[in-house]
Amino acid sequence: MNEDVDMKDGAELDDGSGLDAQGAAAIMQDAGERARRELRVSHPVTFIVAGVAWLLGYGAIWLSVRGQYPYQGPAPEAAIIQVVLVGLAVAIAASIIGRATSGVGGLSMVQRRVSILALAIGIVAVLVLEAAIDRAGASRSVVFGVYQAAAPVLVAGVVYVATSAVRLHWTLLGLGLWLVAVASGGAFAGPVGVWAVTALAGGLGYLLMAALGPALDRHR
Amino acid sequence: MSEDEIDPVIHAPARLRIVVSLAALPDGDNLSFTRLQDLIGLTPGNLITHLRKLDDAGYIRMEKSGSGVNGTTSVSLTREGRSALDRYTSVLRDLLDQAGSAPPR
Repeated sequence: MNEDVDMKDGAELDDGSGLDAQGAAAIMQDAGERARRELRVSHPVTFIVAGVAWLLGYGAIWLSVRGQYPYQGPAPEAAIIQVVLVGLAVAIAASIIGRATSGVGGLSMVQRRVSILALAIGIVAVLVLEAAIDRAGASRSVVFGVYQAAAPVLVAGVVYVATSAVRLHWTLLGLGLWLVAVASGGAFAGPVGVWAVTALAGGLGYLLMAALGPALDRHR
Repeated sequence: MSEDEIDPVIHAPARLRIVVSLAALPDGDNLSFTRLQDLIGLTPGNLITHLRKLDDAGYIRMEKSGSGVNGTTSVSLTREGRSALDRYTSVLRDLLDQAGSAPPR
């Protein structure tokens, strides 16, 4: 985009001589509110989208494994539903973040990219480790139950905690700690129960943070 | 406190909007010229005139990258700019206190 500026379009310079203290205060309030509204990512919306996708995606898998004996693992249709929902949630979040951060560069852009990269590497590592555990002879209930349900949640939680430390983002810290607790605690529910725990506790965790986030973020 | 203590570089509607908008960004971030223009609602000529005045005072930093049709200009608030806005807000708060009005947030 060409941003070379033509100075001929009426560059009159106001000198503020007619601006009183009340007027200046009103401008400051208006400009500050507008900048914060337009430049900051609306985390409540992204958390609501992620929470609903999480609830439905993990919930679909739980419905597909419920009553399995012996445990076989998620049905392919349920896994597809989860992947589609995660894809949708990521696309919506990317659109919201992209709109808010359009034209914003510098440190926070680098931090955001590093966080996304860390999450992507973590998820890939989870899949590689899953293949290794399967190859080592672990049972299906361990590989496609406890591990497959809990490990990605643990990775997401740890990345959120690390990101919150860099940005001093208390909502992310709360969500990250909650997901770490859900992953590690939910694993004790067994191969079927872990899907229900992660669906409910993980999804509701996102929705809770969407509700509490604005109050927590006032302290940033 | 008196109105003489108000920083004349910041104390103009357009420049006040520019400085306050840039201050909403976290430290180390910058804003493209076009996004800032959308946010402030000035013509490019007016915006660059005000930006130059702020740049001359050391309150903002303008960086150009690329050239021709692909060239972009990014604008960020300097440490001096942030301090100047803090001082300006403090003077304004005192003036409003004296006048018995609600101070800026």
